[in-house]
Amino acid sequence: MNLEDELRAALRRDNPSPGFAERVVARAQSSARPARAIPRMMWAAAIAALLVIGFSTAYEYREMKAERASRDAVVALRIAADKLNIARERVLRRETPADTREN
Amino acid sequence: MRRLFLIAVIAGCAAAQLPAQLLQLRITGLDGLAAKAKESTDITLDSNLLKMAGGFLAGAGKDGKDGDTIKQLLSGLKAITVRSFEFKEPGQYRLEDLEPIRVQLRTPGWSKIISSQSKDEISEIYTRMEQGKVAGFAIINAEPKELTVVAIEGSIDLKDLSKLGGLGIPSISVPGQSKDSGKKGKQE
Repeated sequence: MNLEDELRAALRRDNPSPGFAERVVARAQSSARPARAIPRMMWAAAIAALLVIGFSTAYEYREMKAERASRDAVVALRIAADKLNIARERVLRRETPADTREN
Repeated sequence: MRRLFLIAVIAGCAAAQLPAQLLQLRITGLDGLAAKAKESTDITLDSNLLKMAGGFLAGAGKDGKDGDTIKQLLSGLKAITVRSFEFKEPGQYRLEDLEPIRVQLRTPGWSKIISSQSKDEISEIYTRMEQGKVAGFAIINAEPKELTVVAIEGSIDLKDLSKLGGLGIPSISVPGQSKDSGKKGKQE
């Protein structure tokens, strides 16, 4: 066989084996998978970040509310104590005769 | 039959709760005074907020005589309501404004333990007892230029409360607490 025949044999038109098209499509799909995994990871990271921000905001809000409540509670109790003592003092003053108070 | 039993149980629970709700003092009739007042304090704390406050104070770790007393007092409380008004001039409120509150305090369950009445000053202290313990406490203090009503629900030791003393010397420091804290504020 000379060179010309060898080239002709090598470059001859040949039909693909059965199922070639399906195999190509399948290969193309399988190679596309890693590309889709990246957006999924990004979604997961975004959701995780949102959850962290949400929880920390809720915690901060709760702390702020508790701080304000504690401040108000202290003020309320002090007002109550103040008025209680004023009332007791008035009653004592009324019950104690003036000359006894002076001594 | 089962449904009837369930309804009976719910009705029983509701009936048991009813007297306590009826005896709970509501400070009404003073809303218009805030506009006339030079300074007003409006504090309403329910059981949830009191729990949060107690937790916050415990977490703050501020020890000291008053701090411990406040934490102890808060632990037994279910609600605190304070309405206090300071006016520039006398005659900005009428004693009749207090009538809706006094009507509630005349109902069975409440008893007046201290009453001092002079020409232009009134100090009244009421308590509500439940099973030998103080379950409610109310103060009405009326002066020519000042009016204060305090309603406290829950068990409270009046001796401990009186130990807290005046407003001027806060020995417990709450982060971010200012001199005018609570003024014109309302918890919701």
